[in-house]
Amino acid sequence: MSRPPVANLWHGILPALVLMAGFFLLPILYTLGLSLTAEGTSGLTLANYRTFAAEATLTDALLRSLILALSVVTIATLLAWPMAWYLAFCVTERRRVPLLFVLVAPFWTSFTIRAFSWQMVLADSGIVGAGLRNLIGSDVSLGFLYSLPASIFGLTLFGIMLITLMIYSSMVTIDRRLIEANAVLGGSSWTAFREVVLPLALPGWIIGTALTFIVAFGDYAVPTLLGGGLQPVLAQVMLSVLKGTYDLPMAATLASVLVIVILLCVAPLLLLVRGTRLQS
Amino acid sequence: MTGAITSRALALLFWITAAVIYLPIGVMAVFSFSAARYQILPIPAYTTEWYMRVFTDGQYSAGFLNSVLLAGAVSLAATLIGFACAYSLVNARFPGKTAFTLLVLAPLAVPLLLVGIALRIWTTMLGLQPSLPLAGVGQVLYVLPLAVLNLRNRIAQLPKSHEEAAWALGASRLRAIVDVILPACRASLLATFILCFTFAFDEFVIAYFLTNFSVTLPIKIWTTLVTGFDPTINALGTMVFAFSLMLGVTAQWLLMRKDR
Repeated sequence: MSRPPVANLWHGILPALVLMAGFFLLPILYTLGLSLTAEGTSGLTLANYRTFAAEATLTDALLRSLILALSVVTIATLLAWPMAWYLAFCVTERRRVPLLFVLVAPFWTSFTIRAFSWQMVLADSGIVGAGLRNLIGSDVSLGFLYSLPASIFGLTLFGIMLITLMIYSSMVTIDRRLIEANAVLGGSSWTAFREVVLPLALPGWIIGTALTFIVAFGDYAVPTLLGGGLQPVLAQVMLSVLKGTYDLPMAATLASVLVIVILLCVAPLLLLVRGTRLQS
Repeated sequence: MTGAITSRALALLFWITAAVIYLPIGVMAVFSFSAARYQILPIPAYTTEWYMRVFTDGQYSAGFLNSVLLAGAVSLAATLIGFACAYSLVNARFPGKTAFTLLVLAPLAVPLLLVGIALRIWTTMLGLQPSLPLAGVGQVLYVLPLAVLNLRNRIAQLPKSHEEAAWALGASRLRAIVDVILPACRASLLATFILCFTFAFDEFVIAYFLTNFSVTLPIKIWTTLVTGFDPTINALGTMVFAFSLMLGVTAQWLLMRKDR
C-alpha cells in the first residue's frame, strides 16, 4: 500500500455526523428523557408510565399494535420462504431480475396511496363486495374494511415483499454444489432445505422479519386508512395526543413505549444473527 | 434440484401474490377514468376529467411543486453528504467506525413516526418554527442510509491503483477524488440521487410533523383522504404510481449497468 499524500481523510464523515447527532440521536434521546418528566414535579418520575399502564385505551392500543405486528410477521414469513425459494432455485438467472422487479416495484410508490387503493377493493361497495353480490344475488356486508384484520392484510403484503427479498439475497449466495451434493447422495429437497438452505438463509430472514416488525408496529397510514379510527393502534393514539391535546410528555411516553417494545422484540432476533454467524 | 410439480406450485404462489399486490393499483387506475363521483360498478361512462382537475386545481399543483423542489434539494444534499461519508468509510480509519456506521444506518430500523415525533418535540424545544426547510433536514437523514450504502459499495469496488496513480503524479487527495473517484461513480451518483428522490418525494410522516402551512403532495393527498373522498385522488394516485415506478426502474437500471 502506498502512502496517501495527506493524512487519513476521515473528515468526510463530519457532515453526516453533525446531521445524525443533531437531528436524530439527540432528538430521540431528548424524547426518551421527556417521558420521565411531568408537569408540576421536578426531577425524574415514572408518573407518565403509571398513567399509561392504568389507562385501558392505551394498553389496548399497545396490545393491538403487538397483535398486528406479530400476525404480519408470521403470515409474511410463511409465504416468503417458498417465494424466495422459487426465485433463487426455480428460475433461470436471466429471469430473476425481472421477477424481482415485479415484486418490488409497487412498493416504490407512496404508502398512503397504496393503502388507500385497497379501500376500493375491500369496502362493502368495493370490487370484492360487488363480485360477491353478483354471485349470491343479494347485498353482502363484508365488514372487513376498518378492522384489525384489514390492517394486518395491508401490512402483510409489504412484509412478504421485504422478507422474500431478504431471504432471497441470502439464498442466491449459497453454493449450488452443496444442494447438488445432497441430491446425489439421495437427499430430498426437504433435506436440502433443512440442512443447507435454512441455516444459511436464516440471517436474511431475521433481518427482513425485524424490519417488517418495526414498520408494522410503528405504521400509522395503513391502520388509519384500512383499520379505521374506532380501534386505534399505538401509533394512532400517539398522533392524536400530539396533534390533539398537545401533551408532549405523554406523546414522548408513547414514543418511548414504542421504542422499548421494538428493542425487546428485535434484540433477541439480532442476537440470533450473531449466533448463526459465529457457528458458520 | 426441485421437482417439476413443486416448481410449478411455487410459480403459481408467486404469481398469485403478485396479482394480489397489483390488484388495487389496477382498480384505482380503472376508476380514475370513471365519470361517477363514487366507486360504482359497472362504470357508467369514461372520462379524463379527474386528470384535468389534477392540473387545474391550484392546491395539487402547488403541492406537486413543493414536493419536487423539496425532494430535489433533499436528494442533492443526501447524495453529497452520503458521498463524503462513504468515501471516508471506505478509505479512512478512525475510532468508533462501527458505531458511526450503525448510527448512519439507524434510520432504516427506526419507525418514521418516532423520527417525526422526536424531531417535532426537539425543534419545538429549540424554538424553531415548523417549515419546509426543516422538514427537508429531517428527510435528508431518512434517505441518507440509502445513499451511503449505494455509494460505499461503488467506491469499495474501485481499484485503489487509479487513485494512487493520481497521487504519484502529484495530485492532492481532494484533487484525486474530484478527478478520479467522482467520474468513476457517475452512474452510481445519479442512481443514488434518483432513488433518494423517489423516497423523499413520497415521504409523508416527517413532512407532516415538521410543516404547518406548506403543503407537499403526500400531505395534500393525506388530508384529502381523511377529510372526505375526492375522485381526483384516483387520477393523482395513478400518476404518482407511474412516476415513482419510472424513477425506481431508472435508478435500478443505472445501478446494475455499472456492475458490468
